[in-house]
Amino acid sequence: MNTTQQTARVGLFFLLGVALVWVTFETLSDGKIFAERTHTLIAGFDDLKELKNGDDVRQAGVKVGSVQLTRLAGRRAEAVLQIDPKVPIASDAVATIVMSGLIGGNYVAIDMGSNGAPSLPDGAEIRTASTPDLNTLMSEIGGLGKQLQDSLGSFSKAINGDGKAGGGIIQKLDKLVSDNSSRVDATMANLQEITGKINRGEGTLGKLVNDPKLHDELLAAVTDIRSTAAQAKEFVANAEGIMDQVKSGQGPLGTLVYDQKSADDLKASIANIRAVSDKLAKGEGTLGKLINDPGLYNSAQVTIKKVDRTLDGLSDSGPITAVGIVVNALF
Amino acid sequence: MKQINAILEGVGSVVQLLFRSLSYTGSLPRQGARFIEQCYMIGYTTLPIVAILSFFIGTVLALEAGYAMQDFGAKEFIGSLVGLSMARELGPMMTAVLLAGRVGSAITAELASMKVYQEIDALTTMNIPAAKILVLPRLAAVLVMMPVLIVIANIVGWFGGSVVARYVSYVGISPQAYFAALRHYTKFKDVMNGMEKAEVFGFVVVLVCCDIGLNTRGGPREIGAAVTRGVVVSLILILVLDYFVTKILL
Amino acid sequence: METSCSKTRNPFTGAEANAVGVKVDGVSKTYAGTEVLSNISFDVLPGEIFVLMGPSGSGKSVLLRQIAGLELPTVGTVRVDGQDPSLEETRDRVRLALVFQAGALFNSLSVYDNLALYPREHRSGTEASIRERVMHALRILSVEDAVSKFPSELSGGMKKRVSIARALVMEPQLLLYDEPTSELDPVMSATISEIIATLKNEYSVTSIVVTHDRSLALTIANRVGILMDGKLITLGTPKELAATKDPALVDFLYPKIDIQNPRFKKLENQKTS
Ligand SMILES: Nc1ncnc2c1ncn2[C@@H]1O[C@H](COP(=O)(O)OP(=O)(O)O)[C@@H](O)[C@H]1O
Ligand SMILES: [Mg+2]
Repeated sequence: MNTTQQTARVGLFFLLGVALVWVTFETLSDGKIFAERTHTLIAGFDDLKELKNGDDVRQAGVKVGSVQLTRLAGRRAEAVLQIDPKVPIASDAVATIVMSGLIGGNYVAIDMGSNGAPSLPDGAEIRTASTPDLNTLMSEIGGLGKQLQDSLGSFSKAINGDGKAGGGIIQKLDKLVSDNSSRVDATMANLQEITGKINRGEGTLGKLVNDPKLHDELLAAVTDIRSTAAQAKEFVANAEGIMDQVKSGQGPLGTLVYDQKSADDLKASIANIRAVSDKLAKGEGTLGKLINDPGLYNSAQVTIKKVDRTLDGLSDSGPITAVGIVVNALF
Repeated sequence: MKQINAILEGVGSVVQLLFRSLSYTGSLPRQGARFIEQCYMIGYTTLPIVAILSFFIGTVLALEAGYAMQDFGAKEFIGSLVGLSMARELGPMMTAVLLAGRVGSAITAELASMKVYQEIDALTTMNIPAAKILVLPRLAAVLVMMPVLIVIANIVGWFGGSVVARYVSYVGISPQAYFAALRHYTKFKDVMNGMEKAEVFGFVVVLVCCDIGLNTRGGPREIGAAVTRGVVVSLILILVLDYFVTKILL
Repeated sequence: METSCSKTRNPFTGAEANAVGVKVDGVSKTYAGTEVLSNISFDVLPGEIFVLMGPSGSGKSVLLRQIAGLELPTVGTVRVDGQDPSLEETRDRVRLALVFQAGALFNSLSVYDNLALYPREHRSGTEASIRERVMHALRILSVEDAVSKFPSELSGGMKKRVSIARALVMEPQLLLYDEPTSELDPVMSATISEIIATLKNEYSVTSIVVTHDRSLALTIANRVGILMDGKLITLGTPKELAATKDPALVDFLYPKIDIQNPRFKKLENQKTS
């Protein structure tokens, strides 16, 4: 082995070591080479719980300092916080101890305080609040909770939109309704008239509502609907998948929500509904007759029995039907 | 009684050798070539084995931790566990053990051979102290090389842990999450702590192996016996010192 | 001592120093209960060539180690220039070199580095002047070809010559040789004799030579001591020794090969039986 070569290798090796020590240092201590000047704040608590020296101090989740020291001061416990002097802490900001994991890992969370408040000077005492432990614990329940959150998240995204073009279903419907408000108003007036008649026992539907025997049968039907709805819940997960499809514009429902043409169709349908309700009010057509003609009472009874049977069948059917229910519920 | 006497004699001899070596510290700048040679032996040639061993220690730590923690959803802490145990304990400890096996044995063998073949006597008649040209450069080299070995051992071990965390099915933690946990719980202070420990181990291993080599008596057969003794004594000292140094540094 | 006023001169630098004498006084050495040397006393005068002879295992090498200060006698004292040679201060003041029986070259160093180690460590001269000294010493012993070899690549005789060259580079005031010619051919042996004589005559270097070589002993020695079983049985000039009638000495100095010796007969019998 050549001596100069050996020297070179040792030199290289040593420099590599120095470089790696430096890298380790930079990554593990966030690059605080020389103890830079920090801001000190005192936070007094009834109980510091699991808080230790060196734990993080975070504002809105961003690390802004660390716990330098914990101590007892009279009848309370104090945590001395070292804060990055570049981060002003509002004088009305409140510090709380937050548990970031099930096993240890606490940090001090400082809220933003109010906007115009002056910042706390070095060495000042910060306001504190104690946090209920259980809440943070509950949020850590883990697997189930997280899954639930995820599915609810995509649900609400589908319904409310995720801020991207077009918005969610609710926004679309909202727009649809406000665009057609005059027509909807008229429809509502007609519906009011119809329900008035029903209330007074007029027409087939009125009889239907006011007849106690029929009432019992209806009740049974409603019970069936309820149990069906309970089953429907089980399929919420599946619905989530379909909602994703809806969001990406796939399938008929997706097209309906995201396609301008479908929206126009929907408007037309609403116009038709108005026309139908007008007719209903005037006793025109089959349904109008049903509402206005007491003679049709008997056939209505038969129809309701059929609905009942349909609902029975529904409770036995698979996810597709359930999705149908969910989708129907949305509209 | 005889054993106690032998131990006391050994301690006395090591302490004497230490002070004799340190009394020549001033000659170190003129011993640059020897120092570099020892750095090469102690650091450079030991690196591969240290790296390999550290990698697998890291993987095993992650594997065990992942297995033990999977049931209560604390897998996120694997990074911190591997990070801390590697930096504070296993990095220094295993590197010192390797040093004893690889460098300590070589030192004892070399010095014992020099003693048996009268090279040490020749140095004595030349009035060149063995402590000055044989022991001191080695002590200096181990002090300089140990931190380098340790930092590499740590990083390789951490990396080994992250590989297991990522690819073993029942662990399955992303490297980002692993290193985030590692960074959150392992401070540079812990790495420094491990290095201080390693310096003590390395220094003692080299000193003791030098002393045992220089005190070899008899023929070539004694060289082998001296090597065995050097390694065994080194390993025992590492384990015993580990307890006390850890306690002091805590 | 009447010769203590003579000076040793450094063969290379020409610097002068007092020639040193050696005083061995009642030295006994015991290894694990076995007495290897018993009550040995003699003086070696400054600038003298003292030859130690004796059968194998009589304790010659052990005696040289006591004189070089590598070991302490169990009983008695050794003084080199009036001081204990085992002390670092003594060796600091008196340059003492020992040519080991087996050479004791540094196996990890090249021949050149073996020779250059002493002057380098003691910072005597520049690297160029050290090189000159080293090459000169190697040339005297005709081993300059081996300069960049390692000891493991040398024959026994070459090792011995390199080891003598290494002693010469030290510019010693007291030179101890342990069987310097044992592995050498007659021509090289003659060269060694010349070196020893030259060092004495021109530089007043004190020499103690352990040897089996009767002619070497009788030609260069000022005085000869004979060791047997750890005892110094005779001490005298070569002339006195050559004239001795002591049968034990005569047997040792002029051994006869006797084929009819009963010992050989015994061996023959063992072979055939
Ligand atoms: N270190 C030692 N330990 C025990 N016995 C020794 C030691 N060195 C030498 N001896 C013994 O001392 C005696 C003389 O040895 P030595 O001086 O080497 O003989 P020689 O006269 O051939 O040089 C021998 O019997 C040898 O076995
Ligand atoms: Mg001998």
